[in-house]
Amino acid sequence: MAPDTNRPARIATFLLAFVAYATSEVAAHSTGVPGLFGIAFGVGLFTAAGLLSAFGPKPTAKSTATLPRRVQLLLALAFALPLAAEPLLRSLTADGSPLEMQLIFGLRALGVLLAGLGAWAKCRRLAAVIALFLALFASAMGDQPAVPYLLVALAVCGGVWLVFENRDRAGATAASGELVGRVPLRMPYRELAVFGVLAACAAVVAVAGPKRVLFTLGELMPTSGGSGDVDPFARSGVGDGPEEVAGDNARAAGMVESDRLIEDTKDALVDVVSDMFGPPHKPPKKQERMVAGGLADVIQNHGKLPDNRRPSRDFDTHRQGPKGNRTPGSQAARGLFEVSGRTPLHVRAVAYERYAYPAVARPDEWLAAVGGGFAELRVGGSMVWQQSRDPVSLGVEPHPDGNEWMRSSRLDPAAAWYADDDRHQFKIAADRLNLLPTPELLARFRIQRVDKPDYYRWENDGVLTLAGRTRVPPGIVVNTECRTLFPDRLPAHALAHGSGRAAFTELPDELAERIAALAAAWTAGVPRGWPQLDAVVRALRTGYEFDPDARPPADHPHPVLWFLFESRRGPAYLFATAAALLLRKLDYPTRVCLGYYAAPKRYDPETDHTPVRAGDLHLWPEVLLRDGHWLVLEPTPGYAVLPPLRPWRERVADAVDALAEWAKRNALALGGIALGVAALQWQRRRVSDAVATTRHHLFPGGTWRERIVRAAKLLERRGRLAGSPRRPEQSLTAWADELSARRPADPSLSALARLTEWAVYAPALLPPPVPEAEVRSLCARAARAWPLTAFVRPPTGAPA
Amino acid sequence: MTEPAISPSTHDALDGLRRALNAALRGKPDVTERVIACLLARGHLLLEDKPGLGKTTLAKALATAVGGGFARVQCTPDLLPGDITGFGVFNQKSREFEFLPGPVFADVLLADEINRTTPRTQSALLEAMAERQVTVDNTRHKLSDTFFVIATQNPVEHHGTYPLPEAQLDRFAMKLSIGYPDKPHELQMLAAAVGAADGRDATPVQGMMGRTLAMLQDKVAAVAVAPAVQGYMIDLAHRTRAHPKVPLGLSPRGLLTWQRVSQAWAFLHGRPFVTPDDVKAVAPPVLGVRLGGTAEAVVPELLASVPVPVYPH
Repeated sequence: MAPDTNRPARIATFLLAFVAYATSEVAAHSTGVPGLFGIAFGVGLFTAAGLLSAFGPKPTAKSTATLPRRVQLLLALAFALPLAAEPLLRSLTADGSPLEMQLIFGLRALGVLLAGLGAWAKCRRLAAVIALFLALFASAMGDQPAVPYLLVALAVCGGVWLVFENRDRAGATAASGELVGRVPLRMPYRELAVFGVLAACAAVVAVAGPKRVLFTLGELMPTSGGSGDVDPFARSGVGDGPEEVAGDNARAAGMVESDRLIEDTKDALVDVVSDMFGPPHKPPKKQERMVAGGLADVIQNHGKLPDNRRPSRDFDTHRQGPKGNRTPGSQAARGLFEVSGRTPLHVRAVAYERYAYPAVARPDEWLAAVGGGFAELRVGGSMVWQQSRDPVSLGVEPHPDGNEWMRSSRLDPAAAWYADDDRHQFKIAADRLNLLPTPELLARFRIQRVDKPDYYRWENDGVLTLAGRTRVPPGIVVNTECRTLFPDRLPAHALAHGSGRAAFTELPDELAERIAALAAAWTAGVPRGWPQLDAVVRALRTGYEFDPDARPPADHPHPVLWFLFESRRGPAYLFATAAALLLRKLDYPTRVCLGYYAAPKRYDPETDHTPVRAGDLHLWPEVLLRDGHWLVLEPTPGYAVLPPLRPWRERVADAVDALAEWAKRNALALGGIALGVAALQWQRRRVSDAVATTRHHLFPGGTWRERIVRAAKLLERRGRLAGSPRRPEQSLTAWADELSARRPADPSLSALARLTEWAVYAPALLPPPVPEAEVRSLCARAARAWPLTAFVRPPTGAPA
Repeated sequence: MTEPAISPSTHDALDGLRRALNAALRGKPDVTERVIACLLARGHLLLEDKPGLGKTTLAKALATAVGGGFARVQCTPDLLPGDITGFGVFNQKSREFEFLPGPVFADVLLADEINRTTPRTQSALLEAMAERQVTVDNTRHKLSDTFFVIATQNPVEHHGTYPLPEAQLDRFAMKLSIGYPDKPHELQMLAAAVGAADGRDATPVQGMMGRTLAMLQDKVAAVAVAPAVQGYMIDLAHRTRAHPKVPLGLSPRGLLTWQRVSQAWAFLHGRPFVTPDDVKAVAPPVLGVRLGGTAEAVVPELLASVPVPVYPH
């Protein structure tokens, strides 16, 4: 057996793939912390690559040229797996990745498996190319602090890889010549030592040397932004996350919160004007001098005096505008604000507590209402809900990020039903918003330099505004941390009772009886607490249809009753009102909130933000908890509440459950498919042969050579399917003779094999050894006489 | 392209040659077939076997069958190059040196126990085998067009021998071993010897006289070799060069010889083109003379390591 000379190169490739994987994983997450899924996927991948390296196929002297087909299939599957799994992940875990990230994930999976196939030189090289591409991706996309260090590690691994790979190539070159045994292959210790010394020197200079060197290296990172200390053109804020501005792109670089904006002396407005109309006209000084020199000079130099230099000439006092389309591109924001973080989110605009009058509402009417900053929701001139005011005090607390954050006084950190904090950023884009958008169950928030509680004001309970301002300036970024809630862990005592909170439990008398009956019917036998809330919400979500355009009759006294008992369809307003009234009847303090709904389907993977538009207004009910928080409920079909960020284990369990549920629902179809697949698998050889035979009948070949070769290929395929394949080192004639020995009575296979020799090896001008008609009949005879069953190897000991 | 038509007369001539050789060497048709292939490929043959197995008989039968001159040199340590190539003698009548041709000027030369003579004498054969000419006293003398060397060596007695150097081994097209005949053929041999006078040679083959052999050799040279088959041979040659057990891989000259012998093999089987099976069939004797002592084990491994080109690309 040949010595294992390429082991160091294989190990170096594995290392390179590992560091590239880690680098891309860090760069793929904006937080810089690798995701659990990425880690688990990586562990699985590297385990598979290790197994492939240890037990997988190796290049033998027979097969150095190409990878085995099953390995090629495995590589293709590895590349396609992230793309194929994405829809399932999105549907089961409510989390997902944009398309380009799926491609990156597929590429790195391919790279890891190629590293596992490092016994093939071409696989090692391809894995290194993929690692290089991942490094480029990380350097271009990742601005996480760990990325530069990982890239340095990647460069070191790449250097080591090059050393070993070149050694391996040199060894292969020597082995292919006639020098084997005379030129001993040695480990490149000296080269490695030189490389190590150089790398160590670079590390020492970069880390322990003059700081300017490190800064200079930092300036080279395209996404670092730069400090401006070394490169005067490097400006902070380029592509930085928090440095956002209003516009159609949430990632657009403005410097609203940056000191650089204040210090920047460039006049952006002038630049825009110059771009549109050209630079201001300034007559050249030379021309002025010529005019001042007198008419004689001009005539002497130019003969005829130009029009624009004649005394008492007419000047064009208007600038020439640009030709073509003069309509500038829209710079308008695409939404009121952009949300960075998990969605769906309910952003309160107004909270209502008193159900005053039934009416019908349409989103565009709500929009007008919110824009007016009103205290009562009036639709069509009728008051529906009255606003509630319940100011909550704010405190300041230091945050682990080093800044002062505003803290809501209502927070019970010990409550078991709250999940960990979920971070969001709300970037104000439009100039007509009169509230600071915050998510439900708000724990704390921060606007960069607005760090005094006095700067804020609670418009309602849970609706935050800037004190003393009617509009929130665009460009502001609101950082928030909110709790999410595990509803199934919510105990009954965590929900408040209606006693003492009449405003939140009152119900019109004329509705009370029917609402009470319906509530009792829906919650019969259901204990108080979340089960009752869930029963009401579930009944509305499953038994009623969301129809934004549904209108109750104008003369109907109670549209809610019309909705609940007659039409069973309606807009979100009626869903929220119905739920609120039903829950009030069950003694839960309930209110209705009008606000914006950040829908996951609006998520823009390009900007990694979810825009919220003016038309995203929504109405939903909220139930009061004992700790003062309002629990958002979502009875409207098609809308959802932000789920807690659950541990990976639970999400997998949920996914498995959902999958099992789906399989149960489609058991019949799945069973049919499974049966079909099993039958296909059972008869795969016959099916495959039937397909090939049909193809052969349809396309037997044009020339006699093609006809012979295609017939031979068909028969060889049958042999392969039946377990009597031709060995690679075996000629077709030898294989056919071996098989014909089992059926001496039928020499057509051997005859065809000999004809194939003529077709393949004989010079092009040589005619067939038999007439062409005989060639055709021989091909047909062999195809008929040697069906699939004729190639089946007889059991050992059976007579031939 | 010249298509080598195997005419009936050619067929008869080849059959006659086969019969003559098989009558002289009983029970070894595969050996005689390879000998004929070597002859048609204009190669030289090295027979390595134990004494008394019919090496000389085969050589003499071949010389007789092709109807050419036969010469035999019993190689001993005191054999001089001039004893093989010939030398000049002063003719007192004409007062000039006259060239007395040596045994290399025969059509078939049997160099018996070639490894017993000195390297100096062995190398005298080099020019004759490769160039088909000898140079004596600065005068070049052309050998027969059908010059064919059959050298023998004894593999069991190594004392006092001079193993052939690689350069000289490469001049031989193939190395064959005859081996002991089986019992029925030994019985036939004994029966035929009863009453037969010693020294009776094989009968010359009709149609093989004169220029016929040269014409056959020209036809062999014209047998087509497809690029795929040539690529297959090159792949095999590269494997011999990379194989750890082979001290010296196949040289380009060896590759050319292999192709020519494959052409002869295809011609003998009535085909105007070479197939990979032809290449494989002649690989053991052709590579056996070039790959050293491990050839017997290495050649099957090499042949199993390279896929055969079966279909056109």
